[in-house]
Amino acid sequence: MKTNKHTLFETIHQEHQAMVFQMCLGFVKGDRDIASDLQQEIFIRIWKHLDHFEGRSSYKTWIYKITVNSCLQYVRKQQNKSTYSMASIELETPEDTTNEQDTTQDISQLYKAIGKLKDVDRLLIMMVLEGQDYETIGEVMGINATNVRVKIHRIKKRLKTLLETTHHGY
Amino acid sequence: MDTDFKDLQSQWQHNKQQISPPKQTLEALYKKIKAKEKANYFFYYGTISILAITLIVISLFFYFVAPVKELWSRIGVGLMISGLVFRIGIEILSIQKAKRMNALNNALVATENTIKFHQFRKMIHHKIAPIIIVLYTIGFYMITPEFSKYINFWLLVWFNVSYVIIGIILFFVIRKGVRKEMLKINEIMALRQEISD
Repeated sequence: MKTNKHTLFETIHQEHQAMVFQMCLGFVKGDRDIASDLQQEIFIRIWKHLDHFEGRSSYKTWIYKITVNSCLQYVRKQQNKSTYSMASIELETPEDTTNEQDTTQDISQLYKAIGKLKDVDRLLIMMVLEGQDYETIGEVMGINATNVRVKIHRIKKRLKTLLETTHHGY
Repeated sequence: MDTDFKDLQSQWQHNKQQISPPKQTLEALYKKIKAKEKANYFFYYGTISILAITLIVISLFFYFVAPVKELWSRIGVGLMISGLVFRIGIEILSIQKAKRMNALNNALVATENTIKFHQFRKMIHHKIAPIIIVLYTIGFYMITPEFSKYINFWLLVWFNVSYVIIGIILFFVIRKGVRKEMLKINEIMALRQEISD
């Protein structure tokens, strides 16, 4: 028999799975298998903490916190293993139909560029790409909105440079 | 730059709608959740259970099998048992600290709690474990004179030699533990720096 917790969890899973998976993909530089494991870990944590959700922020912000902390924990676990590298990664992109080819190439380059950023910068820029405001990002990261703004400005510049480099095939 | 970034945002959003997250049924996810809960339970209480069983076995051994009579030996047994009780207490404290490394905190607080946890683990390896081993060793050598009256000389020699070998192994295990925790602390400190810079 389904409990309220099950129903709520399933709704969260359905509504936020794509967002969590895309964040994971961006974080692990496009490796679908690792992103899938990481996503699973995040939803296990969401289940574990669901009873403790106090409603101080939206579910989305709450999920971002769990996602960001899980990604950072993943980095710590993998730091010595070096299991993922850009060379061995098959990027996760939409089906490669003729109509989608340009978009596919663009998103591949975006993943590549994001992958070259520092771990924390990667998470910050992905939250901006997700359309989150600086206040929310600050709440997730534990820093103030002004600090977020400064960081994001710097990361956008760096990302632009990286994308230009990628476009030129360096 | 903002116009460029708006394009990137729409690419990102467009891709999100197109990518297919792994096709995993909720039933499979629930199974994984159950398995993880079990593993966590073992992670938290496994070491305590092993230590508690050791404590019970040693206590029963000295109570029923080899009840030492001399005061000196009894103090020795007390030291050995106290060391284990102290170790169990530290493990319980460690669990409390591990539970505080909660994914619901913001990234900065979560990182700081993780640093505190690993500093505590380092302190266990660096200071507490050696103290417990010293207590245990003193206790062990305090009961040896009384034991030597009842057991064969060569068996006693074997006990002592094996104890020294175990001691050497423990030294390397502790050293490895300290290095591992130091490495983790440095990595997390670098992450904290990245967040707060």
